[in-house]
Amino acid sequence: MQRYIARRFLQSLLAIWVMSLVVFTLARFSGNPLDVMLPLEATAEDYDRVSKHWGLDKPLYTQYGIFLTRALQGDFGMSWKWPGRSAMDLVWERLPATLQLAGFALLVSVVIALPIGVLSAVKKGTPWDTAAKIIALMGQSLPGFWLGIVLMWIFAVHLGWFPTSGRGGLQYMILPAITLGWFQVAAIMRLVRSSMLEVLDSEFVKLTRIKGLAEWKVVWKHCLRNAAIAPITFFAIIAGVLMTGSVVTESVFSWPGTGLLVIDAVRARDFQVVQAVVIVFAGIFILTNLLVDILYAYLDPRIRLR
Amino acid sequence: MATVTVRTLPWYAAPRVAHAMRRVRRWPLVPLVILTFLLVIPALLAPQVAPHDPLKGSLSKRLKAPAWLEGGSIEYPLGTDKMGRDLLSRMIYGARVSLAVSAVAIFVGGAIGTTLGLMSGYFGGRIDGLIMRLVDISLSLPTILLALVLVAAVGPSFWTVITVLVVLLWARYARLVRGETLSIKERDFIARARVAGASHTRIMTKYLFPNVVNSLIVLATLQVGYVILLESALSFLGAGLPRPTPAWGLMVADGRELIVSAWWVSMFPGLAIMLTVLALNLLGDWLRDRLDPKLRNV
Amino acid sequence: MKRKALWLVAVLAVTLATTPVVASAQVPKLVFASAGFEDTNRFWMVARPDHLQYDPFLETLLEVDPKTGEYTPRLAEKWSANKDFTEWTFHLRKGVQFHYGYGPFTAKDVVHSHSLLVKPEAKVTLGPFWRGVEKVEAINDHQVVFRMKRPSTTMTYAASRAGDLRIVSKAQWDKEGEAGFDKRPAGTGSYRYLSRQQGISITFERHDNHWKGEKPAFKQLEFRITREEPTRLAMLLAGEAHIADLPRELQKDALKRGMKIFSSAFPVDWMTVYFGGQYYLPNDKDYKADVPWTKKKVREALNRAVNRKELLNTVFAGKGTPAYVTGWSEKSEGFNPEWAKKFDAMYGYDPAKAKALLKEAGYGPGQLKMKVLAFTEPGESEGPQVAEALGIYYKEVGIEAEIEVLDWAKVRDMFRKKAINCCIWPNIISWRPSEEWVRTCCFSKSPNHHYENEFVDKTYDAWTKAIDPKERQQIAKSLGDHFFEEYADIPLFWFNNEVMANPKVVGEWTYPGLGAGRSTHFHLIKAAGK
Repeated sequence: MQRYIARRFLQSLLAIWVMSLVVFTLARFSGNPLDVMLPLEATAEDYDRVSKHWGLDKPLYTQYGIFLTRALQGDFGMSWKWPGRSAMDLVWERLPATLQLAGFALLVSVVIALPIGVLSAVKKGTPWDTAAKIIALMGQSLPGFWLGIVLMWIFAVHLGWFPTSGRGGLQYMILPAITLGWFQVAAIMRLVRSSMLEVLDSEFVKLTRIKGLAEWKVVWKHCLRNAAIAPITFFAIIAGVLMTGSVVTESVFSWPGTGLLVIDAVRARDFQVVQAVVIVFAGIFILTNLLVDILYAYLDPRIRLR
Repeated sequence: MATVTVRTLPWYAAPRVAHAMRRVRRWPLVPLVILTFLLVIPALLAPQVAPHDPLKGSLSKRLKAPAWLEGGSIEYPLGTDKMGRDLLSRMIYGARVSLAVSAVAIFVGGAIGTTLGLMSGYFGGRIDGLIMRLVDISLSLPTILLALVLVAAVGPSFWTVITVLVVLLWARYARLVRGETLSIKERDFIARARVAGASHTRIMTKYLFPNVVNSLIVLATLQVGYVILLESALSFLGAGLPRPTPAWGLMVADGRELIVSAWWVSMFPGLAIMLTVLALNLLGDWLRDRLDPKLRNV
Repeated sequence: MKRKALWLVAVLAVTLATTPVVASAQVPKLVFASAGFEDTNRFWMVARPDHLQYDPFLETLLEVDPKTGEYTPRLAEKWSANKDFTEWTFHLRKGVQFHYGYGPFTAKDVVHSHSLLVKPEAKVTLGPFWRGVEKVEAINDHQVVFRMKRPSTTMTYAASRAGDLRIVSKAQWDKEGEAGFDKRPAGTGSYRYLSRQQGISITFERHDNHWKGEKPAFKQLEFRITREEPTRLAMLLAGEAHIADLPRELQKDALKRGMKIFSSAFPVDWMTVYFGGQYYLPNDKDYKADVPWTKKKVREALNRAVNRKELLNTVFAGKGTPAYVTGWSEKSEGFNPEWAKKFDAMYGYDPAKAKALLKEAGYGPGQLKMKVLAFTEPGESEGPQVAEALGIYYKEVGIEAEIEVLDWAKVRDMFRKKAINCCIWPNIISWRPSEEWVRTCCFSKSPNHHYENEFVDKTYDAWTKAIDPKERQQIAKSLGDHFFEEYADIPLFWFNNEVMANPKVVGEWTYPGLGAGRSTHFHLIKAAGK
């Protein structure tokens, strides 16, 4: 088990390092940030001066070397678009907002998916089942930004139930969370449904029925407890997906998270911030996968012994 | 004389008809019909079916309403967009674009993924380790971010989008094929082939691959919808197909600021995306149930 | 079941715990939904028009009169230049106090503010101008002298509200350094800086002891950065914002729901389509003779093929006035009223003539292939639409125009490197004195190379050395005439800046639009019903 964890951990580190290399190279190929930063009036001397100031005149491998050594100490450099702020600072400042939105979106998708999944399993084969499947699938078929804008127009502008954008109390989170979370409903629902089906057929449930328990008690108290184990481990994986899906949602609702930060940074060619965001995201995703793998290994001895 | 009342069965309960209907009902009719009309016919017969040139518009006819609203005319059944181009024609050609992008991306991604997956599962050892590591890395790349940066570097184009999609898609195929290969490769008929002197390539292509095809088909079908959605998200962020390509995602992105006044510019392409992807998902589900229930977790 | 419930409770708890507390006190706060700006307190790193974020609280030496556009006294009471405009003296106002108790405004603060603009990392619009200051000296507490390396007639422009010399406190810098300035910069305006949330908003509050006694109608003012246009419209309609930057496309919808347009007093931006590859200096190795529009007939044809009236009505909702020569508005030095009279004859929409001209230049139908580049910037989304319209117009006269949407940085990189022979591109640029414009675009020593030849270089040189206003007008006019006759590019329109506001909240607002930041003079906003 120890060897397995060590191996997976090293693999994760390698993955993160490759990520940093890929982002670093791509970012620098995206063009000269000075073209975005400097005003139209800037002269050739201005370009030279600012380029030297930011170390852009050094060769690529030198720049990467400097970047890597600093990054290992947690320093991703100073942002170019937001002078005076360090790139890591900005990421940490915005990350809570994204995590909060992702968490709430997950909650929303569970709240929708759980009853639908249970219903679909219990009433398998009936029109209820088909209807449930379609509701879930619709979430996977709608373009996220379109859904967001439509929701905004109906619920925020016409009905006035929610604010249109920004971050604040609970009511600011609902529309973006639905936009972000609905995509996952189908996957979660399917998991719940199949787990429920397995359990519903099992021996011990038949026993409870023989005992004479009310049907709803059978379903909710006994089946769900066991059916819930599989989806819980699935959540960790979804988390990573939600975080990257948030780029579009944050853009529509002006939710001040890392997704919005990275869009602004890419547009402004602020390499430092782009690198920081991508590596932090990838890091979180890779580490979550690592944790899930370790959890599975713990639960399933076959993997451990490989 | 005794009268005998003969109760005749209704025509649809007659054994032959009932049998035929049962066979038809086995097919997922609704998704197939939707797909034929929204995707297949437009994609294949676009020049014949579209009433106007999707790229030509006249500014004086911009933002005309669909035919059934006031201000609309039957000449532009679904209205026109910002540049005065017929929406229906652009949607028809858009089907072609969506299908082309998905087909190329999935084919290339699938080919690469399948090959690497077969090699990984069959050879095992170091090759397996290396390829699986690549898979992990590839699956952990934050796609949208990468797409943004890549497009900032190279500019939006058909091939940029394809590259991003291929990088995203191949890993899933590799993982799937590797898993299947692992479970088949210890079987007798493979051992027999090896004893008979078949080369590695021959074993992989003639023996392993056909057994994997079913799962590949399911995965591919399920991914077409996902690819279409991803392309529309990339277009929204400005990292998708270049203007003035008639692509559904691009059309929704372009019309988003008009969602109040000229809602049709965004709404119809959005609906097309939704229905097409829905149909593809239903079809994929049905295929999975029929071909390989093991793929529950795909 | 319990495990599941526990998990749900945990997620809910974490979510709610991280939700920020909303202030319960209600204050009348005017909210402006802006398309976005480079948000930082370090104004020396920010180019126009993003100086809009400093307009309420950081003042300049000279003011731009909202009604006449003239430069009037603000923090400077009097100013004068020596004979050849190499020395400028400013007499400063007495009795001006900085916010938050950082003391009185003196000449030392002017020297300090200038020093910020010439830091190595500074990138303000008028950076090159401010680096042209040889020495800036505080003669006494209320008199400061700028000694310039070259004659500088545009000092009044640079030191005005349209420029970037924002006066900040040296005392604060000495005491708290850059970090303190980042946290809470002190200015002298009738609003003072309250707080900022990076990437989200900046908030100001009314300063009760303004030196002029200005009292803005709204106690608090907030600029909120909202990139998405439908979101800004939604905010305005839902009452979350009271003023919003909206594209013309969405103005109709806002008007339908009772919003009002507040337009700037003067045209602020112009749009022109520039031709790449116009490097006409002798022996310029980047000049390629096979670029179609190096022939004047082709340039004229490309102008005549465009239906400006229709373009204005369709893409810009009819809101714009004709631009006759790129970079010249009626307020510009050297503006020639003859241009308006001759415009129809020389540039008017005439596709038949365009086709004939192309044929004369050797391009039959379908033989001329070109690319139109387009890009969008926050607040300027019409580039691609204009490009597509051009494509349609040019198709009608037999030109194959391909449209490529890039980003601004790429296009800029191309014309800086003189690698843009292939293409033409529309761009929106904001007003500046015509001398500045020529220095930026057409003077061969500037990095932008939009149109260069010997005549432009010679005339520009003479212009910078000229001091007599009549002589300057003459020279400027001759240069403008040259651009006009030569069809140097495709001038389209001048635009006023328009914002939409809720008439139930905003009563009256006059702003010139020529400030550094398209919307300025927020202190002049009068509440509705007063």
